[in-house]
Amino acid sequence: MMMRHWLCLAASALFALVASGASAADAPRGDAAKGKQLFTTNGCSYCHGTVGQGGGGRTGGLRIANMGLGFPAFLNQLRQPANEMPPYVASALPDAAVADIFAYIASLPPPPDVKSIPILNN
Amino acid sequence: MAKIKNGAGADAGRRGFLKGAGLAGAAAFAAPLKAVAQVPAAAGARNPVPLPNKPAETAPPPALEVLTEGKSGSDFMIDCLKSLGFEYMAANPASSFRGLHESLVNYGGNKSPEFLTCSHEEISVAMGHGYYKIEGKPLCVFAHGTVGLHHATMALYNSWCDRVPVYVVVGNTMAAELRRPGIEWNHSAQDTASVVRDFTKWDDNPASLQHFAESSVRAYKIAMTPPTAPVLIVADGALQEDPIPEGLDLRIPKLPKVSPPQGDAGAVAETARLLVNAENPVLIADRFARSSAGAKQLAELAEALQCPVVDTSGRLNLASRHPLNQSSRARQHISQADIVLGLEMSDFWGSINSYRDQLHRTSRPLMKEGAKAISLGSGDLYIKANYQDFQRFADVDVAITGDGETTMPSLIEAVKRLVNAGQKSKFEARGKKLAEAHDADLRRARSDATYGWDASPISTARLSMEVWAQIKDEDWSLASPTASVSYWPQRLWTMDKPHHFIGDGGGMGIGYCASASVGAALANRKHGRLTVSLQCDGDLLMTIGVLWTAAHHKIPILSVMHNNRGYHQEVMHVQRMAARHMRGLDTAHIGTTLRDPFIDYAKIAQGMGVAAIGPITDPKDLGPALKRAIAIVKGGEPVLLDVVTQGR
Repeated sequence: MMMRHWLCLAASALFALVASGASAADAPRGDAAKGKQLFTTNGCSYCHGTVGQGGGGRTGGLRIANMGLGFPAFLNQLRQPANEMPPYVASALPDAAVADIFAYIASLPPPPDVKSIPILNN
Repeated sequence: MAKIKNGAGADAGRRGFLKGAGLAGAAAFAAPLKAVAQVPAAAGARNPVPLPNKPAETAPPPALEVLTEGKSGSDFMIDCLKSLGFEYMAANPASSFRGLHESLVNYGGNKSPEFLTCSHEEISVAMGHGYYKIEGKPLCVFAHGTVGLHHATMALYNSWCDRVPVYVVVGNTMAAELRRPGIEWNHSAQDTASVVRDFTKWDDNPASLQHFAESSVRAYKIAMTPPTAPVLIVADGALQEDPIPEGLDLRIPKLPKVSPPQGDAGAVAETARLLVNAENPVLIADRFARSSAGAKQLAELAEALQCPVVDTSGRLNLASRHPLNQSSRARQHISQADIVLGLEMSDFWGSINSYRDQLHRTSRPLMKEGAKAISLGSGDLYIKANYQDFQRFADVDVAITGDGETTMPSLIEAVKRLVNAGQKSKFEARGKKLAEAHDADLRRARSDATYGWDASPISTARLSMEVWAQIKDEDWSLASPTASVSYWPQRLWTMDKPHHFIGDGGGMGIGYCASASVGAALANRKHGRLTVSLQCDGDLLMTIGVLWTAAHHKIPILSVMHNNRGYHQEVMHVQRMAARHMRGLDTAHIGTTLRDPFIDYAKIAQGMGVAAIGPITDPKDLGPALKRAIAIVKGGEPVLLDVVTQGR
């Protein structure tokens, strides 16, 4: 069934992203508001959710919110994806647009503490 | 064996009967009228006049025909179906089975089976699909010749892929001279079942009532013998509508108790030896648990070995909170395994290999060199060539052919016999580590669910957990697949009864969920269970008429919509192609989304007589709305709660 596929992919890609993480200070200046719009219009949200929470399923994307990714790793994943994520080349999504999207993702607030949500604790 | 005997003159065929009737009518013309029926022929009766013919219409009839009858062939056919113990028969009404229809509701008293009115044959069959997975026995479906069966094909393919028996009876008129001109020819075929033969296990076109009796019992037996699958019987129009010839000795064979095939004892013993001596054995189960015994058996085997179980969600094979349920670590365990035992796998290859959907499609084995794979299942006992649902060929060392559940007790016994004290201690240590990993996975899943918790559209994690909060103290049954909601129920709900999860649609043809969940709810109704469906919008649109069926037959179900306003899987596929072709990243919504205008599912449901709430867009409103909805369901009614959600 489908479950095994996305779990496998999720695990491998997560490792690739976290392991290659660089400092957020490496990122070029981006416009978070513009990035939010680009995140939606360019279809990032289809797989990763509107607030980067991720989505399961065979073609669903990983969570990208609050992952502590550096810009080089983020850009590299877009250009040469390690998993099933489709490639986003510079001619279709320039580096400046990627920087805006990165700024949007970096601007996302941390999620609520799991202990503060009763229905997640029973 | 039930015996039904009519009076003398046993072998009168239809034409013979009509001829005799004509003579009787002629004789009766001079005799008291009470001896014959005097009912005018209805439109479309036998020997119709195809075109207007004024002289013929105004002239006195040449003779009185016998126009009524007592017990018809269709009455006997209903006796046959009743002998099989069907509770329900689902159908969209159609002239090719009008005899059966009338016999069911009048002669049969509309009980066992009871007529379920459906607006599409795909709904009828898919209801049977869901019903079986709760009740463990098939639903009967009547379908119209040609056109009705064509409507049913999608759902039949789903049930075939999911190894679910549905019992279909199709009307057809074989004899050319007995077909009404025009439409009845369109609705007749010389080989009615051919359109679905690739994905039904058996079919027959009985030429006599006795033949129908034997084939109807045979079909049921074949459908229920693993590998279980749908079957089809053609009910000829003349056989349905003609009287049972006088003196005909009709017998309905008894339905035998099916003893499913068991795997070879030697292969089972060798498998037990390999499992016990392995460093890292792994069990993978797909459609293994076909009854309440299955999950208990799998737990017993896993506990004897203290080894990880990967449940691929074809059924509820192992309780979600069982510490040996390691489904979220499937890749890790399979890559470390020295033996993997696959149980009733639909796609074993896909479980032990990774596959990458990029421009150059690549795959690689997940299992390490030298590791052994063993399959146990009934799939090889019945397989067909055309449709490729048998999946890629899995490179296994031993393929044990037999029913998983039937074979499992001997495997458990063999394993327990082989485990010595030293191994037991080692296994316990292994089990302890697995339990810790299971707990860690649960904590991680809870943490993952917090991302997007307050988002609008509502996250699938929030949707799933708000539902869980309202049903967890009930006797509940989740009747929908979970892939579209990112498997959150498996990750966070406590599922430990077979009816807590019934798998997916098999063939992945959309339209399954809406109808199958109502079929499951029908089966759950007599057990007083709260049936819940996480209903995708695209799926509902395919068979939306089932809402009316649920309302009409008072089938209580809580249908919570995962309304992501599109065919989201396809949104992602088109986006993948656009990215691959380096263009048009902003156009994937064209042809894939359901917007401009948004669809108001609550209004549609209300129009069909179903109570409805929504659309809900603020996650804070979801809990209170669910409370209201559940109160209605507990009153015995279906409810639709429209929730606007994230894509996945």
